[in-house]
Amino acid sequence: MENKNLVELKNVRKAFGKVIALDNVTFTAAKGEIHGLLGENGAGKSTLMNILYGLYSPDKGEIYIDGKKVRISSPFDSIKLGIGMVHQISTLVPEFTAVENIILGTPEDKFKLPIKEERKKIKKIMKELELTFPLDVKTKELPAGVKQKIEIIRALHKKAKLLILDEPTTSLVESEFRQLLKSLRVLVKKGVTVIFITHKIKEIMEACDSVTVLRRGKVQDTINKEQMTKEKLVKLMFMEKDIKVTESALPKVELPPAKRSKKPVCVVKNIEVKGKEKSKGLKNISFEVYGGEILGVASVSGNGEKELASVMINPSLLSNGDILVNDESIKRLSTLSVFNKGVAYTPEDRIKEGILNDGSIKENVLLGHHTEKRFFKKNLFIDWDEATKAAKKTIKDYNVATPNEELAIRRLSGGNIQKVIMGRAFVNPTNLLITHNPTSGLDVLTVEFIFNKLVETRNNGGAVLCINEDLDELMIISDRIAVLHNGELKGIFQRSEFDKYKIGLLMIGG
Amino acid sequence: MKKKNIIQKDLGTKLLRSLSVYGLALLIAFGLISIIIALLGFSVPEALKTLVTTSFKSAFGFQETIKKTIPLIFTTYAFTIPFMIKFFNIGAWGQMLFGGTAVAAVGLLIGNFGLPSFIMIPLLVVVGISAGGLWGWFAGFLKAKYDINPIISTIMLNFVAVLFVNFIATSPTFKDPLEGHPITRPLPSSATLGFFHGIPYSIIFAILAIIFVYILLKKTKLGYEITSVGYNLHSSQTYGINFQKTIMLTFLLGGALAGLGGALEVMNIHGKLIEGFAKTSGAQYGVFGILTSLVVAGSPTGVPIAAFFMAVLLVGADALQRTMQIPVEMVFLSQALIVLLIVIIRKKFEPNGGK
Amino acid sequence: MTFITSFISQTMVYATVYTLTSLGIILGGRTGIFNISAEGILLASASTGFVTAYLTGNWLIGFIAGALIGAAFGFILAFTHETFKVNQFILGIILVIFGSGLSDLLYKIIVGVRLSAPQAPHVPTVTIPFLSKIPVISGILNQDVIVYFMYFAVIISYWFYYKTKIGLETKAIGENPKAADVVGVNVKRRRYLATIIGSALIGVAGAYLPIAITGTYSPDISAGRGFMAIGIAIFASWKPQRAILGGFLFAGIEVIAFQLELISANIPYQFFLMLPFVSVLIIMMIFKKQIEFPASVGKPYSRE
Repeated sequence: MENKNLVELKNVRKAFGKVIALDNVTFTAAKGEIHGLLGENGAGKSTLMNILYGLYSPDKGEIYIDGKKVRISSPFDSIKLGIGMVHQISTLVPEFTAVENIILGTPEDKFKLPIKEERKKIKKIMKELELTFPLDVKTKELPAGVKQKIEIIRALHKKAKLLILDEPTTSLVESEFRQLLKSLRVLVKKGVTVIFITHKIKEIMEACDSVTVLRRGKVQDTINKEQMTKEKLVKLMFMEKDIKVTESALPKVELPPAKRSKKPVCVVKNIEVKGKEKSKGLKNISFEVYGGEILGVASVSGNGEKELASVMINPSLLSNGDILVNDESIKRLSTLSVFNKGVAYTPEDRIKEGILNDGSIKENVLLGHHTEKRFFKKNLFIDWDEATKAAKKTIKDYNVATPNEELAIRRLSGGNIQKVIMGRAFVNPTNLLITHNPTSGLDVLTVEFIFNKLVETRNNGGAVLCINEDLDELMIISDRIAVLHNGELKGIFQRSEFDKYKIGLLMIGG
Repeated sequence: MKKKNIIQKDLGTKLLRSLSVYGLALLIAFGLISIIIALLGFSVPEALKTLVTTSFKSAFGFQETIKKTIPLIFTTYAFTIPFMIKFFNIGAWGQMLFGGTAVAAVGLLIGNFGLPSFIMIPLLVVVGISAGGLWGWFAGFLKAKYDINPIISTIMLNFVAVLFVNFIATSPTFKDPLEGHPITRPLPSSATLGFFHGIPYSIIFAILAIIFVYILLKKTKLGYEITSVGYNLHSSQTYGINFQKTIMLTFLLGGALAGLGGALEVMNIHGKLIEGFAKTSGAQYGVFGILTSLVVAGSPTGVPIAAFFMAVLLVGADALQRTMQIPVEMVFLSQALIVLLIVIIRKKFEPNGGK
Repeated sequence: MTFITSFISQTMVYATVYTLTSLGIILGGRTGIFNISAEGILLASASTGFVTAYLTGNWLIGFIAGALIGAAFGFILAFTHETFKVNQFILGIILVIFGSGLSDLLYKIIVGVRLSAPQAPHVPTVTIPFLSKIPVISGILNQDVIVYFMYFAVIISYWFYYKTKIGLETKAIGENPKAADVVGVNVKRRRYLATIIGSALIGVAGAYLPIAITGTYSPDISAGRGFMAIGIAIFASWKPQRAILGGFLFAGIEVIAFQLELISANIPYQFFLMLPFVSVLIIMMIFKKQIEFPASVGKPYSRE
């Protein structure tokens, strides 16, 4: 008796300490379909699939493949069962080439290195799927979209019958997404089942034959393509939350007509910056940011956006050109002096470069402000009383869920951490806010809070430079969008001209 | 009111956790040691009693303990301060030696000028601090500019410092012609410190150092920057803290404190530079400085007390070898074992550093 | 001529210690575990190996004992690191302290203080007929079995890392353990194996010191070589083929420093003895740009 369900997860429960990530989840995917797994950030989608792939072990629950109960304790087991997974963050070895990455872990020929034969096999799979990429370049030199293709081939090279994709469009623009869909359809025709994890409703509706919606670790429902409507999916994703969202499941925010300042708050003139890692850095970039506007900078990861974010607050990275804030050059200023000029910053990776992880909220709010007159006395001592006051105010104004300012910041949720980082940016009056991917990985209510804060800054005459890899977000909150590709500014769109496809093409150099 | 209770409860559990970590480690370690002592044919209760009570049984025992605590405080701080930014200063040994050697050399060179104590002592203290500071700073510099792992550079500098001590102690300018071993001539009395009821006057400097370190780390901007870099290097750099400056400063401070410790040993305890200082006590203080710091998880506040208890065990070890012929290495190994257990148990109970 | 021959011969002997030790560090380091306890292992295996060889009269058993002690240290390091997630450097430092305390203790207890130091049994030399008589070349070839073992270990390591898939996977663990984990490689098991085998090699090097070089054990017989081997592993960029070059380089510096000390009258001898230690720093300064590290070195790996 052939089971039409390829995979079944029954009554899965997983808790991380006190947090229940998955609560009695039952999930099935049928053979030969693209099955979506939809939910907002933190709903438990990745956790569930990581259990299926063997990276996490469930506290309770059973897994069935092809109707047979199986035990999966590590990726070694899941790979043997024909399961492959492409994670949201690349799991390639940066120092290895595509070929070396793809053959890693295969059980045959452990004591040989048959590169030539494997190459032939890999090329065959690539041809079938119409995917191309360089085989002998170190993957650290390749852009995120290409790395993803390599990881898909890696899974198929290990004879995967089930391919799990975790938020595959994070680094893809519109046109690349269409290409991916084509390849997935080819795969399905060949009998591979695909599980497509995302938090963007539009993608589910375009790509999936059926979808399971998760919310706070519980399955809300599973529905077929015919039953899919945006309203239904929004309701399943967010339930009782009184929130208006777009088709990318982002909160809708009102942007009143712009009252731009006459003179720009920030002028960037012909700047050049050396690239980090594989990025080419920035070449001859010029633009202006006015008070009362949000200027979005859209780019695919690795095209100079990190260098732009860094150089704005660390002008010593400039190899050419100048940056002016309120008509004053900041070229020779140190980071702390730049902050003193009314510039504030929130970094891309809040855990790695935004917070002092074991430090208290108080110590975190002080960071970057600790040489200002208000906090720095007699050129030697820190005024901790003032620091406490600033921390308490931030906690109050930003609704940070914490008993007090002494708590270690790492104990806060991701959303509350981002609120502290955002609040830190406004400890002093801010003329120019530079924010990089401000809402990545956050739940929709916090996203709404942050959006509102950015818009509020704009409405009060402040200038906001929002560097963001999520084009959907930029289209909601920006007055203008500039496109960065290969370290060059490829164009600026006015709000009335926003077109996701057009902007996306420019982002990949089209 | 509710918030205050939460803080108190938090602190209370924190204290309980710390104590149980130490308690469990001591229990296991002493259990193992007792077994080994018994196997070797010695009397366990007598050994343990000698080990922990020698420091308190007589005035002499207590004085010896203080004499060991003082340099240990300095070498522990020398490890602790760079450890706050996640770097390992294994060089307290060499920094202490360099400080002491510089003091001996300068003291002997200017000894004939007839300068009084109130000039000589502060001058030599500055010499010791500077020499140790330089030796420490150099390792920080090598990391900042050449990305050389401080573990390696400080260890290499240790070996160089030992050879340097040997050089000074055998060089004709400084060597004491009457002594068979490499030992310098004694320092002029204006360059030495005395004792008060058996307690060396260097204790004053130790107390000053404790206050200095506390104020530096808790109240100053530099202290905040050191703490921040220790929490998260990237975040600190992103928000404007100069990492290279910070690392050079922490190693300078660590070296300076170790150098001061060395200077005081030469001025107060030995009165001259002896080879034994380089090979035996210097190495010992260096090693136990590291162990003591690990006991208090690199937290500066616990250093003086932990140093005292380490000194108690060191005095006990000497007594054990003297009276019961149990080799001192047995105690040293046990101390290393205790520290290992503390580190492991602490990771189990406080995986996030206990906040 | 004889001077060159003996210079080569001596260098090769010390190079064996340096190379085996740095190779042992490299094996663990390539999987992400930076074994800085090498000095402690050298001391512990030197004392244990010597005492065992002395008591049994058999050099081979002495080396096996040294290797086993090394493996034990490696096991403790891997275990505490992987299971308890304790910092590798803290562990390494504590193990160095352990190793030196253990070795002093062992020697004190078993051998004690004697007027003449006990001697270890001799290690057989490999003699190749005819070639052994040629000067210079005889310096290279007329070595004991452990030296040949060192060559063998380097060759096997090179083959392993560059010509096998299992070596590729092991390298992957050092670069990105997550990448290895997601393709089904058992990260934990490889880390244990690499660290234990590597530490066993260091144990062989440690036993070599008293049994083959000095003939007897004394405290500080390792003289900092364990730490210098860490330096070698670093500027060899964790490659076995470069480690052997580094090993010869440092052995050469050590032998030259010793010769200079004997012949020079004007410069105080201490400064020659400083030469090896200073060289480590100078070489690391010169090669700063060329040094590569496995990216995951120093970090425990966990899935969650």
